[in-house]
Amino acid sequence: MPRALKKTGLPYLLLLPGLGWLLVFFAIPLLIMLLESLKTGAIDTGYTLTWEFANYSNALSDFNDQFLRSFEYAGLATLLAFAIGYPLAYVIAFRGGKYRHALLLAVIVPFFVTYLIRTLSWETILSDSSLVVDTLRTVGLVSEGGRVLDTTASVVAGITYNFLPFMILPLYASLERIDGRLLEAGYDLYGRRRDVFLRVTLPLSMPGVVAGTLLTFIPAAGDFINAELLGTPRQFMIGNVIQSRYLEVADYPTAAALSFLLMAFMLIIVVVWARIAGTEALLGTEGERR
Amino acid sequence: MPSDEQLNREFERLLRDPLTRRRLMQRGAAGALSVSALAYLAACGTDEPEGGGGGAKSEDTKAIAKDEIAKSLYFANWTLYIEEDRGTLKEFQKKYGTKVKYVEEINDNNEFFGKVRQQYDRGDSGGRDIHVVTDWMADRMMQLGYVQKFDKSELPNLEANLIERLKSPPFDPKREYSAPWQSGQTGIIYLDDKVKREPKAVDDLFDPAYKGKVTLLSEMRDTVGIVAASLGYDPEKATLDQFMEAVELIDKHVRSGQVRGFTGNEYIKDLPKADSWVVLGWSGDAISLSAEQENIKFVHPESGFHLWTDNMQIPVGAPAAYTAQKFIDFVYDPKVAVDITEYVNYVCPVEGVQEILAKRSPELADSQFIFPDEETLSNAFVFRGLKPDEARELDDAFQRLIGA
Repeated sequence: MPRALKKTGLPYLLLLPGLGWLLVFFAIPLLIMLLESLKTGAIDTGYTLTWEFANYSNALSDFNDQFLRSFEYAGLATLLAFAIGYPLAYVIAFRGGKYRHALLLAVIVPFFVTYLIRTLSWETILSDSSLVVDTLRTVGLVSEGGRVLDTTASVVAGITYNFLPFMILPLYASLERIDGRLLEAGYDLYGRRRDVFLRVTLPLSMPGVVAGTLLTFIPAAGDFINAELLGTPRQFMIGNVIQSRYLEVADYPTAAALSFLLMAFMLIIVVVWARIAGTEALLGTEGERR
Repeated sequence: MPSDEQLNREFERLLRDPLTRRRLMQRGAAGALSVSALAYLAACGTDEPEGGGGGAKSEDTKAIAKDEIAKSLYFANWTLYIEEDRGTLKEFQKKYGTKVKYVEEINDNNEFFGKVRQQYDRGDSGGRDIHVVTDWMADRMMQLGYVQKFDKSELPNLEANLIERLKSPPFDPKREYSAPWQSGQTGIIYLDDKVKREPKAVDDLFDPAYKGKVTLLSEMRDTVGIVAASLGYDPEKATLDQFMEAVELIDKHVRSGQVRGFTGNEYIKDLPKADSWVVLGWSGDAISLSAEQENIKFVHPESGFHLWTDNMQIPVGAPAAYTAQKFIDFVYDPKVAVDITEYVNYVCPVEGVQEILAKRSPELADSQFIFPDEETLSNAFVFRGLKPDEARELDDAFQRLIGA
């Protein structure tokens, strides 16, 4: 029977809804956007397709600052999220005991509140005369008359916070899967805690590390809400530019070209990272091999 | 809808005169042409320069025809631009039986234009019967033939009660395509307890003592106009280079960190928190803010403040154009307009409101920010109309400056 089904092409039939969805809502819009990015004209008169490839080089030279800034902020936020997320995931996975699920829930629950509201609250928390900033001033971490809101620090902090669960959850998933006997074996072979961690735990959690960093870095690089609410024009990222090119300036070709450039850079970064970390880690197959 | 015969006649008549695209579109505006016919004519249209000006178009274009009062009316407006309880709309419903669908869908002129352009270009209003846009955008809508001509005989209140000053703006000298909704003043809003002196000069915005506590407006004409005026140029006549000089000055202060950012009306939340101290902002907001918190004040820059008007227009293809026209006339009854003014606190374009308000809330009736007198107005400017290529260049430079 399964063989007969295979012949009738059922597997392909099952693929249809997914492929259809991708075609209608991803491939075709992408194509429309590609054509849009090659147009010239003005909003008053409409845009016409002239195969203007210069839109790409112009967009890149005009907004290279914002591109660099996006990757810088996203990179910083990813590192920070990793530094915060790994110990947390480690503790929940290995020391959580019966509170494990409660702790995990505590990580997720704040994110039931919508993204925008959370970022707006950060705006209030970090505002110039808020309790937090006043305290930081008293301690001397912020200079007198200095501020936290509307700086690079506040934007990076906002991004880190907003994407933290995307880092913690994959890390937790891969740490939690680690077979305790492997760790015991490590100690039995006179491995010190540090050796066991570096040679056993960390390599086994690599799928989580790769998934977590990608899940954090990719949306962070395209984010514009944090820079908009917690930053100033000097913190604006490429997402802000695309947003305003589309909605405020109505310069659709540049906006479309910028979106494509962002996708291209992202693709390059993912490929390079996968090369470094290994595709097995990326696909999460390493853990299954044991 | 016009009959086929009418269409044909209109079509033939059109073919006989040499036309510009602009005038063509305005005929389209009268609902007399199908889209394909328009496209055909546009393709063979001549390049004859616009000679007739306003006069010519008002003669050829058909005004909104008499019709029945529709069951519903779609009114597209800016946020917080009518009473919170929508009293005016209820009164209109009581009088005419029309339910007004009031949609706060406009946040930014350019954004709104980008959203509706394709529809309007096809002669489809997207269901909208009235939209409200600022002068320069109202002008653009007219140039493109996206809005319908009023039948002035149906607008007795507008005729009688529109204040003198707004009766003939350069873009619509006879007020045949646009009727003011509210006007407003752009000036400096500040925290009284944080500033050294009343910040009457634009230079005060750039005082190092307020570093990082200053925001400007993301509406280009407000910010660039006010700064250009402080450089000694008249925004009603200034050249592109002079406006660019203002852009460069602003750029310098953005780079130095003096200017914290550019806002729409988000300064409403920044000022009470003291995240910003001295900002460019709009009069209506300033009045509402200072009513809540008395250390918030509004001042006109000595070098000149920006006076702008948001206008109601009836887009081509509006399903209830005749009813929309009735509505426009309805809000020009001072008894109706007074409620709106009392709530929004912007500059009221309707004669007679001040007298009614004097009895209800005298402090509003005396306010120079709602009813500016001649002396105040002598210090106001209206940003001049920009040619499309000028507008593009200036917009581009400004957008870059505000980080977009």
